[in-house]
Amino acid sequence: MKFVFTMWKKELRSYFVSPIAYVFLAAYLLIAGLFFYLGVTLTGEASLRVLAGNLAITQIFVLPMLTMRHFAEERRQGTLEMLLTAPIPLWAIVVGKWAASVTLCAIMFAGTLVFPAVLAYYGDPDWGVMLTSYLGLFAVACAFCAAGLFSSSLLDDQMAAGLIGAVILVPFWLVGRAEALVPDEWADRVRPLSLLYHLDSFNRGVLDSMDIYYFVAFTAVFLFLTFRSLESRRWR
Amino acid sequence: MNRNLQRRLATGSNAALVAVIMVLIVVFGYVLLEPFRIRVDFSATQSSRLMEDTQNKLRILEKDAIPVKITAFSAQEGKKEAYFKNRQLQDLVEEIDYASSVVEAEFVDFDRERLTAENLGVTEYGTVVIQRGEQRVDLKDRDLFRHVGKGADRAMEFLGEASVNRAFSQLMANNTRVVYALVGHGEMNPESREPDGLSDLGKALDQEHYELKRLDLVRDAKGGVPQVPEDAAAVIVVRPRVQIPALEQELLLAYLSAGGPLLFAVDPGGVIPEIFGRFGVAVPEGMVLDKLLVFPFPDRPVPRYRNHPITEALASETLVTLVSGVAPLQAAVPPREGIRSATLLETSRDGWIERGGELKGGNALFQPEIDAAGPATMALTLELGRDSGLVNRGQGRVIVLGDSDMLSNSLLTEGPGNLSFGVNALRWLVGDDGRLSVSGRPSAVRKLALTEEDLGQLRWVVIGLGPLLAMMVGAAVWSSRRGR
Repeated sequence: MKFVFTMWKKELRSYFVSPIAYVFLAAYLLIAGLFFYLGVTLTGEASLRVLAGNLAITQIFVLPMLTMRHFAEERRQGTLEMLLTAPIPLWAIVVGKWAASVTLCAIMFAGTLVFPAVLAYYGDPDWGVMLTSYLGLFAVACAFCAAGLFSSSLLDDQMAAGLIGAVILVPFWLVGRAEALVPDEWADRVRPLSLLYHLDSFNRGVLDSMDIYYFVAFTAVFLFLTFRSLESRRWR
Repeated sequence: MNRNLQRRLATGSNAALVAVIMVLIVVFGYVLLEPFRIRVDFSATQSSRLMEDTQNKLRILEKDAIPVKITAFSAQEGKKEAYFKNRQLQDLVEEIDYASSVVEAEFVDFDRERLTAENLGVTEYGTVVIQRGEQRVDLKDRDLFRHVGKGADRAMEFLGEASVNRAFSQLMANNTRVVYALVGHGEMNPESREPDGLSDLGKALDQEHYELKRLDLVRDAKGGVPQVPEDAAAVIVVRPRVQIPALEQELLLAYLSAGGPLLFAVDPGGVIPEIFGRFGVAVPEGMVLDKLLVFPFPDRPVPRYRNHPITEALASETLVTLVSGVAPLQAAVPPREGIRSATLLETSRDGWIERGGELKGGNALFQPEIDAAGPATMALTLELGRDSGLVNRGQGRVIVLGDSDMLSNSLLTEGPGNLSFGVNALRWLVGDDGRLSVSGRPSAVRKLALTEEDLGQLRWVVIGLGPLLAMMVGAAVWSSRRGR
C-alpha cells in the first residue's frame, strides 16, 4: 500500500502543478453546470437525475482524456522503462495511477456540490436519491478511469490513447440503445452489458448488488488488462 | 521459427488466454450472483419498493405460473409532463420486471415502435396493456396520473402501481359480482359523471371485478313483485333526498336478513333512512367539525382511522380520506343484542358536533353549551348476528357513512385515501376480506419553487461560478510556479 500511496501522490501532484487539472476541472464544471441548468429549466424538478445521466455519458469522452497521459506520457518522456524497472510492484503503479485519476474525479464531483445546495434552497430534494446518484457517478468514474488507463498503456501517442479509450467505452453506452434492434430473447442478454442500465438504479435511489458488481468487475477487468499490457513489455 | 519468436508467441498467447479467462470469470460471476441480487432503496419515499399488496399479487401470479405481459407505451413527446410520465412509467415497469419472473414488463416508445402498438390495437399514447392468457386489461393515461391542488400548487401524481395492482386483481378474479346502487329517491347516480355522480366509484369497482348497477326497486319490478335482485353482492344507498318508502326499506331488510350487505351514506340535515333505528344507529343533529381540518375548508375535518380491516392499510400508508360536510353517527350504547359496531372514521379529540352558535373569523367555534364534544364518529360498521333478529342467514354486514361526498366523483379521486377507502369498504361488505388493501400510493414529483428571476440568477451561479473559481486557482498556481 505504501507504493500505491507514493504513486498516487506523485500522479496527483503532476496533475495539480500543471494547468491540466484546472482546465479540466473548469471544462467539466462548465459542462455539468449547463446540464444542471438545462435539467432545472426543462423539468423544474428538485433532482439530479437529468444531470447524472448526461454526465455519465459525457464521462465516456472526458475521462479517457484525463487518463491518456498516464503511460503514454511516461513513454514519450522515456521514463516508463525506469518506472517499470523501479523496485515498485507493477500492480502498485497501475493502482496508484488509477487512484490518482479517481481522486481528481472526486474533486470534480465535489465542485458540483453547489447543485444539491441550489436544489435544497429552492425545493425539497430527496437526499437519499442524491447520495446514490453521486455514488453512481463515482462508480462510473472508477470504471472509466480503469478503461482509460488501459488504453494509455497500449499506445505511445496521448491523443490516440484518449481516442481509443473513448472507442472502448462507447459500445457500453450504445449497447443500451441497440436493445430495441435485437430480438426480444436477446434483449435480456444484451441489457446487462449496458452502462446506462446499471446506472439507472443509482439515479432512482436504489443500490443494487448487481450494479455494484458490474462497476467493480468493469474496473477490475480493465485494471487487470492494464497490468497485463504493461507486463507484456517485459517479454515483447 | 527462432527461439525468441517462439518464446514471445508462447508468453503472448498465455497472456491473452489469462485475459480471456478473467473476462469469462467476471461474466460467469454475474450470472451466478444474479439470483442472489440484493436491492436497498435509499429514497425518502421508498418509491422503488412495490406495495405489499402488489408483491402478494405477484407471488400469486408466480404460483399460477401463467405468464403476464405488461406493455407500457410512452406518453407523447413534447407534451407537458411527458418527461415525468415516461420516467415514472419506466421506473414502475422496471421494478415489476425485477420483482417477478412470470411478469414480463417492457416500456415501449409509442412513436418508434408503432408496429407493437398496432399489433395490440393501441391508439393512445401512455396506454398500459396488461395481458394474462386470453384476458387483457388496458390502463389509460387518466388511470395512471391525476392532478391535485390548484393554481401554483397543482401537481401531478402517479397512480401507476395502484392501477396495475387493480388490473392484477381483475385478471385474477374469475367472475364479476354486481353491486347495486339504489336510485329513485334522489340518490347519487352510479352512471353520472357529474361531481355528485358515482361513475368514478363504478370505474374503480369495475377494475376489481365488481359491476356497479342502478337499482330502482319499483320501476325494475315492471309491475311484478319488487325485490333486490338475486345476483346482488351488495346494495349501496348514497344520499337519498327523500325518505325511502316503507316497502322498499322492508325489501332492504329482507335482503339483509338473507345475508345481503348494505352500505348507507348520509349527509348532515339530509334524509335518514328509518331502518337505521333497527340497527341501533342514530344520526344526531349537527355537523362534524374539527380543529384538524383540510385547509381552507372548514367543513372538511381530517378523519382519523380506527383499527379495522378496512382502514388498516390506509392508516399504515398515512393516506388521508377526504370528507366534506359530515353527519355525526352514534351507535347504540350499550350495543343492541347481536349487533357489533365498530368505528371506522372519527375526529380528533379537538373535533366536535357543531349545532350552531357564533362564528369567529367566518369559522365555527366549539361552544360547550350548544355543541357536543368529540371525538365524533364519521363512519361505522355493523356486524349483525342471527341473535339480532335481523339476520336469518350468514352474517349481515352494514356500513354507515356520515358523508356521501367521499364516494362521489368530486372527492373520490381527489383524496389520497378515498378510492382505497371506497373499494376496501365494498370488499369488506361483500366478504372479500382477503383483498383489502391500499388502492393507491401516489408518488409525486418534487418540484422547485423557481421564478424567472431566480432562473436568471441561477444561470450564472451554476454555469459560471465553478469554472471561474477553477480557472482562478489554476492561474494562481501557474503564476506562483512561474515566479519560482
